[in-house]
Amino acid sequence: MSKKTEKQTDLGLRQFIKDLGYLSGGAALLATTPWLQSFTPEKAKEIQSEKARIALIGTGSRGQYHIHNLLPMKHAEIVALCDIYAPNLKEAARLCPKAKKYTDYRKMLESPDIDGVVIATPLNWHAPMVIDALSAGKHVFCEKSMALTMDQCKAIYDASRKTDKVLYFCMQRLFDEKYIKGMQMIHSGLIGDVVGLRCHWFRNHDWRRPVPSAALERQINWRLYRQSSAGLMTELASHQLEVCNWAMHRIPRSVVGLGDIVHWKDGREVYDSVSLTYRYGNGVKITYESLISNKYNGMEDQVLGSKGTMNLATGMYFLEGEDASANSGIEQLLSQIGNKVFAAVPAAGSSWRPETQKAYKPHYIVEGKYHINDGLSMIGAVKDGSDEILSAFCQACITGEKGKDIVEEAYCATMLCLLGNQAMEEQRKIDFPDEYKIPYMKFE
Amino acid sequence: MKEIIISAKRVKKELTWLMICFGIAFLMNITAIILYHTPWVEAFTQMGYVVTITLCLYLLLWVIRLVCALFGSLWKRNAK
Repeated sequence: MSKKTEKQTDLGLRQFIKDLGYLSGGAALLATTPWLQSFTPEKAKEIQSEKARIALIGTGSRGQYHIHNLLPMKHAEIVALCDIYAPNLKEAARLCPKAKKYTDYRKMLESPDIDGVVIATPLNWHAPMVIDALSAGKHVFCEKSMALTMDQCKAIYDASRKTDKVLYFCMQRLFDEKYIKGMQMIHSGLIGDVVGLRCHWFRNHDWRRPVPSAALERQINWRLYRQSSAGLMTELASHQLEVCNWAMHRIPRSVVGLGDIVHWKDGREVYDSVSLTYRYGNGVKITYESLISNKYNGMEDQVLGSKGTMNLATGMYFLEGEDASANSGIEQLLSQIGNKVFAAVPAAGSSWRPETQKAYKPHYIVEGKYHINDGLSMIGAVKDGSDEILSAFCQACITGEKGKDIVEEAYCATMLCLLGNQAMEEQRKIDFPDEYKIPYMKFE
Repeated sequence: MKEIIISAKRVKKELTWLMICFGIAFLMNITAIILYHTPWVEAFTQMGYVVTITLCLYLLLWVIRLVCALFGSLWKRNAK
C-alpha cells in the first residue's frame, strides 16, 4: 500500500474519547465504556511503527467490508484469506494480492505468521472457528452474534476466560460516538429515570442473495435456515438488545414473544416478523419489533426516560415539554383554557383525550457531522463504529491488551436473542436460565 | 344632530380600564412563559397576542359594564 493512502482511520474516535474527558480523569467515561480504556490517543502512539498481521476467514460481503476497513489502517496488514466459496475468495484476493489464500481455516491457523483472525462467516461457524483460533494462539475478532446456540456461547465465554489471547466481537455500537456520548447523557440523568426501551428494525427486503446453483442455496442464503442462522434476532436485534443493557446497566430477567413468517413464504425457516417484550427486574421493558416486509418505521434504538427520550440510532434526543409544533407559552395557555371550556369529556377527564404523537424539538447528541445508519444495508453502514472496533482489535493484536467487557456484552446480547427465539418458538415466557448466568450479569 | 361630548374624565377612565386589561394580558403572557418553560423573549415577541387579549378583555369589560349600567338604571327607575 502506498504511503499516500495510509491513514489512521480511528483518529476521529480517539479525539472524541479525549474530548469526553478521558485524559482529565475520565471516571465517567470509564464507567460507561470500559472497553475504551485501551483505545486512547496515547495507545495509538505506542503502536505507531508496528503492524498486526491479520487473517480473514470468510470473504463474503461482510468480510470484504472488513477488508476495506483494514486496508487503510497503518497498524494492520492482511496476510491471509480463507473461504470455501471460490468467487468470494477470488474477489478478496484481488483486494489483497499479497495475502496467502486458504480454503481450510484449520490449515491457515497453523501459520505462525498470523497474529489475529477476523471471522466473518455464517453464524453456525462462529463457535468452532473462535475456539479453534484461540486454541491455536491467535487473537480473534468475530462478527456478531456470538454463536448459534446457548451452549456454544457458553463454550466461547469459557474459552475466553481461559486464554490470554484477545477476543473481540463486532458489537460496533460500543465504539460509535453518538452511542457513547448518548449513554453518558443517559447515565448522567439527562432524560431522568429510564422507564422503557423501544427498539425496532424494519426493512422491506427478502434477505435473499442470488444463487448460481441450487446446491449452493443453503451456503449462500445461510441467514434463512435454522441450521446456520437464528434469523432476525441474531442478525439485527443483537445490536439493539446490547444497547438496552448498556443503558440499563443490567440484564432482563424474562422474555415473551411471537414470531412468524408473514410475507416471505419462500421456503425460508426463520421468522420474517418478530415481536418481543423483555422485562428487567425493576419492571422496565424492552419492546422489540422487527419486520422485513415494510420499512416505514426504519431502525431506531429509543431509550425512554421520565424527562426525555434518547434516540441513539438517529443521534438525537428530545426533552419532555419541548413540543416543537408549539407554540408559544401564551398559545399553550390559551389552548389549555380553550380545552377546559369547550372540550367536554365526561367522567374520566382529560386522560380520555387521545394523545397523537407530536414533534418534539430535536437536540443532537453529537454536534457537527456524524453518520446515521439507515439500517437498510445488509453489509454494514459507513462510520457506524465497525472500523473503530476493528482498529481497536488490530491494536490489541500488537499490545495483547484485552478489550474490557466486550466478550461479556456480546455474550449477554446473544443469549437474549437466543432466549427470544426460544420464547417465540415455545410461545411462553422464558426466564433467564441459571446455567447460563455469568458473574458480569446484573439482574437487579 | 345631537353632539356627543366625551369628557376628559371619561377618556382618562377608559384609558385606565384599558391599561388594567393590558396589565392582565401581559401578566398572562408572563405566567404562560413560566408555566410552559418557554423563552423569555416571548414577553415581547408575543405582544400581538397580548394586545388581542387586551382588546378582548376590554370588550368583555365593556359588555359587563353596559349590563351593569342597564341594571343600575332599571334599579333607579324602580326605586322612583
